[in-house]
Amino acid sequence: MKSLKNWLMLALLALSLGLSAQAMADKASKPFAEKRVVLQISDPNPFKQTLVLNVANNLLKHYGPDKVDIEIVAFGPGLRLLFADNANKGRIKRLVENGGVRFSACSNTIRNMGKKLGHPPVLNPNAVKVSAGVVRILDLVDQGYVLIKP
Amino acid sequence: MKNMTIKTSLTALTLAMGLGAAQQASAANWLMLQGTEPAGSAPRAKLWGFVQAQYQKDFSDSFGAGEVYIPPKLIGPNLETQDQFNVNRARIGVRGSNFPLDSKTNYFVLIEMGRNGITNHGDAFAKVTDASVTFNHIPGARVRVGLFKNPGPEEGLQAIHVFDYINFTTVTNQLMLERYPVAGYTNAPAQSIPGADFNKIGNSVGAFRDTGIQVFDTFKSGSWETAYAVKIGNGSGLEITDNDNNKDVYLYLSTEKVYGGKGGRREGWKFFAWSQSGKRIDPNNTANEYDRKRYGVGTKYLKKPFRVSAEYMKGKGMIFQGPHRPGHMFNDLEASGWYVEGGWYIPKTKLEIDLRYDSYTREENHPTSVAGDESRYKTATIGMQYHFNKKTRLNMEYSNRNYESDTTAVNNQYEGVKGRFAIQVTAIF
Repeated sequence: MKSLKNWLMLALLALSLGLSAQAMADKASKPFAEKRVVLQISDPNPFKQTLVLNVANNLLKHYGPDKVDIEIVAFGPGLRLLFADNANKGRIKRLVENGGVRFSACSNTIRNMGKKLGHPPVLNPNAVKVSAGVVRILDLVDQGYVLIKP
Repeated sequence: MKNMTIKTSLTALTLAMGLGAAQQASAANWLMLQGTEPAGSAPRAKLWGFVQAQYQKDFSDSFGAGEVYIPPKLIGPNLETQDQFNVNRARIGVRGSNFPLDSKTNYFVLIEMGRNGITNHGDAFAKVTDASVTFNHIPGARVRVGLFKNPGPEEGLQAIHVFDYINFTTVTNQLMLERYPVAGYTNAPAQSIPGADFNKIGNSVGAFRDTGIQVFDTFKSGSWETAYAVKIGNGSGLEITDNDNNKDVYLYLSTEKVYGGKGGRREGWKFFAWSQSGKRIDPNNTANEYDRKRYGVGTKYLKKPFRVSAEYMKGKGMIFQGPHRPGHMFNDLEASGWYVEGGWYIPKTKLEIDLRYDSYTREENHPTSVAGDESRYKTATIGMQYHFNKKTRLNMEYSNRNYESDTTAVNNQYEGVKGRFAIQVTAIF
């Protein structure tokens, strides 16, 4: 029993250390950023894909890549934006390479879509899996990010 | 002949597959724009369509004491008057990725409800012009099945709602827009109006479409895009089902230097070549079978404010003789034609000026054919477009037509063919 308690304590410690490290890493990628923005894409409308990428692009143009930190979190039907063959893959690549934009993919959605597809969807190499899209957004908001849902 | 055609098709396919080493393009030309959807970002069902309302007036003179007319002097599709308002096209369609999580399949459905050669026969309320499914599973070889446009001449393959003129060139109208006479057809003489009855074909025009299967794709290499298509179809136009055991083979190859933009008015300089071959059976005498062969090469340059395009087409067999003479179109005659056209988008305005010259020679080298002697059709068209916005525009054009035939009786009528004025509004939604 004592041993189980120790393991749980250890696990909680590791989790909190991990989250802290992740939070530090989020901000560390843009140490001089004056604005921190999380963009949500969860809509099935393809126009929203274009819109969210446009917003990210406009933020980068306005503030400059070093002054704004952007993460796009995709979950639900919006996860299609991060499919490997998505027609916007070129724009995503440019936003990552030129603007340091991060893309997060919801693992819950990946799992559910995998059930419908019969196999897990193949994701864009620039997408980073997070446990749950909505949790990721809440964590970023807690860290001071402003949530925008175009 | 059939084996040779299939061999040619396979060679073209192999050549195109070889190009597969280059990077695949997304959507950039008529084959891709009409047959595919953007991967991962297509809706389940996108409702779309367009309306074209028009007025046309023909200034041709009648001939003879009975003041009789022939079809080129009247306004289609009904050919009963020299001026009329018409809703030429009213099309509504749905397209998309039926299972959005899987970008590898998409579909395209379009219905015509306007009044033109598609719907005029039998006073059809509506007719399906497109119904296809595309499978994008094999890199370099997408597969499209169903009823859809044939790879072929630019005027036929392009989306009609971005066509820069109102009426087709004579060569496209006569050589490429196929008519399908039904059993029991008869010819009609020149007639007076009102009350003229010239439509003796009985079926919808082919609308540059056929039911079949097509392998196609587009490949990108730098700023160049190369596309190919190989289609096998019934050769029955919009009638969907086949009426014989013969199949048509359509081949298409294009390469384009892309300057920028996207969609139907993407800027670039395209070069293309195509061929179509098949056989047709005379429904009044089913023992008689005729070859139908068509070939063409062309180019199109568009970089605002200028547009220039040109195309040459040649055909052998099944040379159309007019909607009033289906009895003469089952033939082995030859015909050829070409057009050159250009547009100028007047800078800082919504206006565009268009100029076109087209020439068509029918019954080439057949001075004693049953269908008549050689006839020549030359048309110069000046047009204007006013773009209210990206989806709405006004077209206006005037065509000066010079027709002549080596057959005196036909030429007497042709001498009276004069200009034609047309104005049309297009609204896309």
